[in-house]
Amino acid sequence: MTAAPTRDAVPRRTATVGALAAAALAGTAGRASADPDELGGYAPRKHKGAPALLSRADRHLVSRFSYGITPTLAKEVRKAGGAQRWFERQLNPKAIKDKKADKLAHWWPSFHLSPAVLWQRQRDGIEGGWEVMDDYARYVLMRRMTSRRQLLEVMTEFWENHLHVAASGDPQFTWRVDYGNTIRKHALGRFDDLLRATTTHPAMLIYLDAGESTKDHPNENLGRELLELHTVGVGNYSEKDVVNSARILTGYSVDYWKTWRPKYNADDHYRGKVKVKGFRDKNKKIVGKATTAAYLRYLARHKDTAQHLAYKLCVKFIDDKPSKALVRHLAKVYLDNDTAIVPVLRALVASPAFQHAHDKKVRDPGEDVVATYRVLGVKLAKPAGGEEADDSALQSLVWQADSIGIAPFSWEQPNGQPIDNESWSSPARLMASMRFHMGASAGWADQATKYRKPEQWLGGAHPRFDELVDRLCAELLHRESSKRLLKACCTAVDVKPYDPVDKDSDLVKWRFPQLLTTILDSPEHLSR
Amino acid sequence: MTTTDHTRGTGGFCCDEYAAMHAATYGKVSRRGFLGGALALAGATTMVGGAVVTASPARAQSASAVLVVLSLRGAADGLSLVVPHGDPVYYAARPRIAVPSDRLLVKDGFFGLHPAMTDLEPLWTAGKLAAVHATGLPVANRSHFSAMEEMEDADPGSSVRVGWLNRLVAGTPGGSPLQGFSAGSSTIPTSLVGPAPTMSAGRADDVELPGNDREGRRRASLQIMWNSEKSTLGRSMRDTFAAIDAFGPAQAAEDNRGDYPGTDVGQGLATAAQIIRGDVGVEVITVDQGDWDMHTDMGSADGGWMANNARNLAQAMAAFLNDLGTQESKVTLVTMSEFGRRVVENDSNGTDHGYGNVMFVAGAGVRGGYHGRWPGLANSYEADLTVTTDYRQVLADIVSRRFGASVPKVFPGLHWQSTGVMA
Repeated sequence: MTAAPTRDAVPRRTATVGALAAAALAGTAGRASADPDELGGYAPRKHKGAPALLSRADRHLVSRFSYGITPTLAKEVRKAGGAQRWFERQLNPKAIKDKKADKLAHWWPSFHLSPAVLWQRQRDGIEGGWEVMDDYARYVLMRRMTSRRQLLEVMTEFWENHLHVAASGDPQFTWRVDYGNTIRKHALGRFDDLLRATTTHPAMLIYLDAGESTKDHPNENLGRELLELHTVGVGNYSEKDVVNSARILTGYSVDYWKTWRPKYNADDHYRGKVKVKGFRDKNKKIVGKATTAAYLRYLARHKDTAQHLAYKLCVKFIDDKPSKALVRHLAKVYLDNDTAIVPVLRALVASPAFQHAHDKKVRDPGEDVVATYRVLGVKLAKPAGGEEADDSALQSLVWQADSIGIAPFSWEQPNGQPIDNESWSSPARLMASMRFHMGASAGWADQATKYRKPEQWLGGAHPRFDELVDRLCAELLHRESSKRLLKACCTAVDVKPYDPVDKDSDLVKWRFPQLLTTILDSPEHLSR
Repeated sequence: MTTTDHTRGTGGFCCDEYAAMHAATYGKVSRRGFLGGALALAGATTMVGGAVVTASPARAQSASAVLVVLSLRGAADGLSLVVPHGDPVYYAARPRIAVPSDRLLVKDGFFGLHPAMTDLEPLWTAGKLAAVHATGLPVANRSHFSAMEEMEDADPGSSVRVGWLNRLVAGTPGGSPLQGFSAGSSTIPTSLVGPAPTMSAGRADDVELPGNDREGRRRASLQIMWNSEKSTLGRSMRDTFAAIDAFGPAQAAEDNRGDYPGTDVGQGLATAAQIIRGDVGVEVITVDQGDWDMHTDMGSADGGWMANNARNLAQAMAAFLNDLGTQESKVTLVTMSEFGRRVVENDSNGTDHGYGNVMFVAGAGVRGGYHGRWPGLANSYEADLTVTTDYRQVLADIVSRRFGASVPKVFPGLHWQSTGVMA
């Protein structure tokens, strides 16, 4: 009844499945066995022309600090002398030429307009802030997709999420591109510099209301989130600390509704003694900038901040339940190095926990979108100018990420989107990811974008199907084929492992998207 | 309800396979899983060509009660939604943002609803809507994120991350992921997280296997890849398979989203109503709405941020409660927000993080009107509306009266004292 795909291994039918269901399955799955775990007869077979693969340890390191391993990236890693050396080079992004990514900022002229002009354009109905922000999300996704400074983009994303300023929503959009650039500049520098640059940045002052704060009744929004989200973390501050934190920040503002230029309102600055945790200041001056600078320096160097940041880095780059000892160790490295970020990353990567964590992180919606386009080798075109076709991949990036769960920088609350696995493992997410993978595999109705043609994946004139699957696994997952993947592919497109494939076969002509999407829907592609 | 034949997917082999998969994951098989499987195999399974078609209702055991939990994220100002006009401190503390007493709806001697909530008036008059004031966490927590977590976990002192709604559905008969459903957002709220399987989708139509084919190749292929995947992703994928198999009637139910506001809460509640009318055994549905964190520029009774949100909330709730068809007698809706705002307005025409808040309870089993014990307001910089009713007391009333659930199991450690909001 269940026809064996090869003569030497007959899949065993199991008794766990009811007879009727088993019969049904045998019918539905074509030649595949009723038992999804019965893999006999699906021995993977090497494709001779498949791209060379990194070792498992190298794949893990590169996978965590990039947006998906392509054959080109693997080549770069090998050229660098292995993943560890590639990682070291990536830690110094200035030494890496990245012309392609640098050019991306010029795809959208509005990024170079002043806040006043952006605001005026929105008021005049020429271009809404949300449109500029959708383009900003596209730009950042494109950077992640194409940049040779992969680690810098990964860390920029990490900090831009940690110090989240929602892009959509008036009127912080006027400053949002500059805010992102500011973070990229400091992403591998020192956290205290990063914190000072972001806390008093107009985008943050507008987003968390500090720009409207006054000495008599300070607005507590930024004062609180600075403590809870950006530095020492929840449970490590008191309500009195919040009030004083807000008082310290009073004065920083922007020229609201006009030029949006930064300005300091000395009249609104609270003067008098302030105390937040161990930070005390007489805060006597009319302009409180020095007090703020000292306060932020204090917060950046606080042991609770060190723990908080170390914990978050572990969750992002190792797994969701890092050990306390490792968090303590990384916090110490952070403090010992005067809040420098690079030494912490080095220590993280050197930890045994990191080395044991391969494939343990779920790709979030943005990571899924970027990795999918990267491994499919899709070439997204520059906007043509004028009205863009809504179905081009470039335009769709934002709604694709949104459909899976979240478009970049659109998380509604100041804590930034979640970085744990559970949040991005919901059924809604999975169904949406599968929908996206299918569309990206097929390249439907999209004239502006260059997708690889099915025959370009074959790598030779007449590979066997099992060889083709091996090649696809190497290209899309950067790993060898497995029995499970091979059987899933055979089942999806109703082909036997030993069937030959060429450019005229039905599979290549009609069913190639189903094959690609099968591999993209695997646990391997949904993890990083 | 029509009795359409649902040929979605290849549902036939779902049931006992699903049970077996769950057994692999959890080491045990739920009784419902086996029963559902047996029923499907014995009764409704037919072969059509190569595909197995199961009339989905075989698994869709009707729910005896349904609870919709609407989370107002960002800490809604309960003092603007249900205004204590009888407390003079309210007007003294909020000279610019207070809602004038003569504008309030369904006023009694002390409370009244925000004037933008006119859509709720008929429900109020019919006794189907209640407001419980001065509710909240047992101890103040002014962090949005940790307060939400604490409120939805509702198990103080335990470090295990299992939400109260997950404990609720775990205690009711059956083991279908459809018993707990998150409508509208991709991330599942803490309240639903836990060992009992749950489902999520933005719209009923989204519940499908993209790329499914009549022969069932797609489904079989995915099962090969995911069947023994131990991760949270694997578990979720298997929940998805099972949910899809039983979801047909919910998709066949009328989608009335045009009658709702086009906002997140409107569309989320439209999805909720459609699923409920499908009668596929859903017991709990969560819907989230953000955008209540009004530190600045709340606006006035006539317009602005608060008035817009209040109107949107009222329209969505009213549309939902009028869209339940034959299921109406089962469905209760409750609103929650992680904390309330401070009594005194700040200098930006907004309010900062406070403590006590109002909960709305509507629909089946509700004793309409104003509930709760008013603590009296204080007019000082840091004054809160204090909490006189632990929010869990309200929820305990609902789960006990509507689901016959064990209060100690759903709310461990709670000394339950009925608030009287449920009949």
